[in-house]
Amino acid sequence: MSATGLVKYFGDKRAVDGVDIAVPAGSIYGILGPNGAGKTTTLRMLLGIIEPDEGSRMLLGSPRPRTQSDRVGYLPEERGLYPSMKAREAIAFMGALRGLDWRTGRERADEMLEAVGLGGSAHEKIKKLSKGMAQLVQLQGSIVHRPDLIVLDEPFSGLDPVNQERLEKLVLAERDRGATILFSTHIMAHAERLCDRLAIIAGGKRRYEGSVEEARATLPMEAHYTPREDSSALLPLLPPEAVRDGKDYRFPVPEDGMESLLQTLLDSGHGIAGLSLERPGLHDAFVALVGAETVERMESGEELEA
Amino acid sequence: MFLRQAVVIARRDFIATVFTPAFLIFLLAPLFMLVFATVGGTGARMIADSGEAGQRIVVIASAEENALIRAADGRRRDLIPAPIAPPQLETREPRGDPEAQARAVFSESGIDVTAVLYRDGTGDDAGWHIIDGGNASFSANYLAALAEDARRDRLADISPGADPPAIPRTPFQRQEASSSDRQSAGMGALFVLFLLTLLLAGQTVSVLAEEKGNKVIEILAAAAPLEAVFVGKLAGLFGVALLFVAFWGGLVSMAIGALAGPGMMGVIDPAIGLSTFLTLGIVYFAMGYLLLGSVFLAVGAQASSMREIQMLSLPIAFFQMAMFGLASAAAATPGSTLALIAELFPFSSPFAMVARGATDAAIWPHLAAIAWQLLWVAITIAIGARWFRKGVLKSGPSLLRRFNPFHNSAKQN
Repeated sequence: MSATGLVKYFGDKRAVDGVDIAVPAGSIYGILGPNGAGKTTTLRMLLGIIEPDEGSRMLLGSPRPRTQSDRVGYLPEERGLYPSMKAREAIAFMGALRGLDWRTGRERADEMLEAVGLGGSAHEKIKKLSKGMAQLVQLQGSIVHRPDLIVLDEPFSGLDPVNQERLEKLVLAERDRGATILFSTHIMAHAERLCDRLAIIAGGKRRYEGSVEEARATLPMEAHYTPREDSSALLPLLPPEAVRDGKDYRFPVPEDGMESLLQTLLDSGHGIAGLSLERPGLHDAFVALVGAETVERMESGEELEA
Repeated sequence: MFLRQAVVIARRDFIATVFTPAFLIFLLAPLFMLVFATVGGTGARMIADSGEAGQRIVVIASAEENALIRAADGRRRDLIPAPIAPPQLETREPRGDPEAQARAVFSESGIDVTAVLYRDGTGDDAGWHIIDGGNASFSANYLAALAEDARRDRLADISPGADPPAIPRTPFQRQEASSSDRQSAGMGALFVLFLLTLLLAGQTVSVLAEEKGNKVIEILAAAAPLEAVFVGKLAGLFGVALLFVAFWGGLVSMAIGALAGPGMMGVIDPAIGLSTFLTLGIVYFAMGYLLLGSVFLAVGAQASSMREIQMLSLPIAFFQMAMFGLASAAAATPGSTLALIAELFPFSSPFAMVARGATDAAIWPHLAAIAWQLLWVAITIAIGARWFRKGVLKSGPSLLRRFNPFHNSAKQN
């Protein structure tokens, strides 16, 4: 799946502003960004649910995404199921829409529900299930036809930790089956744990595209230093970005390495009680890429202004 | 793929509609209507009968003239259908001042006099006079006619009890129904079709409300072309409508068979032949349903709430009435320009064409009309899906942006 220069207006608002994306086959790809960043609109354009105002797309080798709909599974952000349908019928129905025959759909539905511990709910109506269970049913409905590409829009939102773990396992199992998985999220922990590659979108623009490791590598490693003897004379010896954190000092590893700094600390008599070098997390990389304010809004779930 | 997806959606809708307690109420609704109509009609008839039973027209004249008047009334009343017959005739002989006596009749209790005919004076040369109670001109006219009949009978010296001279009569057996009978059959079929579509096709206006409410529309829109979604939704509800029609059609046929015998249908003799006419009726019901249903589906799909959908019910009813009016006018004037317009206008075409089947034996216009109507079903669904994609899903560039190359750069600057 790939897209070049996707643009979408809603009225005068440029909701998606020239987004490029390339999702390698067989990978788990995350689209990370705050609410209102344009993630859902981007996914809907990639799938052909809506047409972009500008730009082009390629889905499973076709420039016309709708022709590939039988090879795609999609879990929309706004969950939707018929409340009066039984769980296994709902899964089979979604499979039938994607070309799976009803009988196979029902058989697979039974297996899939059993696998996530919902076997007893197969004949329950959707309205009788909890929100998390219904969400799992919908996810299973979107993969029952064993698609080559699975697109999940905010799949973890609204799920409790147990169901989040179930969902993560399902995603990994589908990847192991050979499917390509594209999902959007505003929760960095999921992206960090699951994604092979990711794109960061904010304000309708793509701010980053690459692997999680590459994103983290955009920032220098961070040193956590604990002096043996602390004094007011220590701080001027450290890099200007150093901040005190309890008994420790945190600062980015200098571009020329740690050797000369360590020598200075030893010579000044402050000594080294502890020292660790850590790669910054995705959170820090994200802050560096899109700004602290955007990240704060993302983590609070606040809608981003265009 | 398109058809398969439409069938999946239609199947879901059909099952979700039919296997519910609400469907039973829907199916039996005409029964409730019949019961209420029967009870209400009987009550209204009884009230009307009780009022009419007390109504009288009164003649105050000599015994000889009264006999002539009664004889004339008997002859005329035989020719008037009972529902529109004048009030019962009562004859009296004059006592004292005829005008005062005539006026006093209106004040009598127990009867409701609508008009009184009396001799204004005494002797043979006294003229007739009528007092018309409450502008009941029909009663007054009727009494005037009776007076004239009596005058002629007296001049012709016809005794009151004499039978009129018999005119020989020979029965004539028509080989086919008269044109007015056929026109009536066409009107009847048109009305049945209109009634069915009025009752059933309007449901399509809210058919996408469920999907928009529970967000399933996103699943459907991602999995299938919107045209397939629209076709599936329409087909699902059409299946429900067919079930309804089959149920009540079967019941009505059985009732006719039991009450009037199997030959009852032979009374209807459309120009195109009874079996073809019935087949065309079913086909045109389908086309009428699909045409009007696809319009209502497209309009209803734009509504964002049940309140908006309810607001649409009035314009929908008006639209259906307009189509019925156009088709009725066409059926009343077969072969006219108006009839041609009604047959060509896609949304009145099924109604106008079924009426045409009763008066015109040619088959090819029906084949052409069905193809034409099918084309318009497809066009309406395509427009509806496009409108939904644009208006609800906000897909593709707006017209302003598409036709204004400076819009984008202006906004970006």
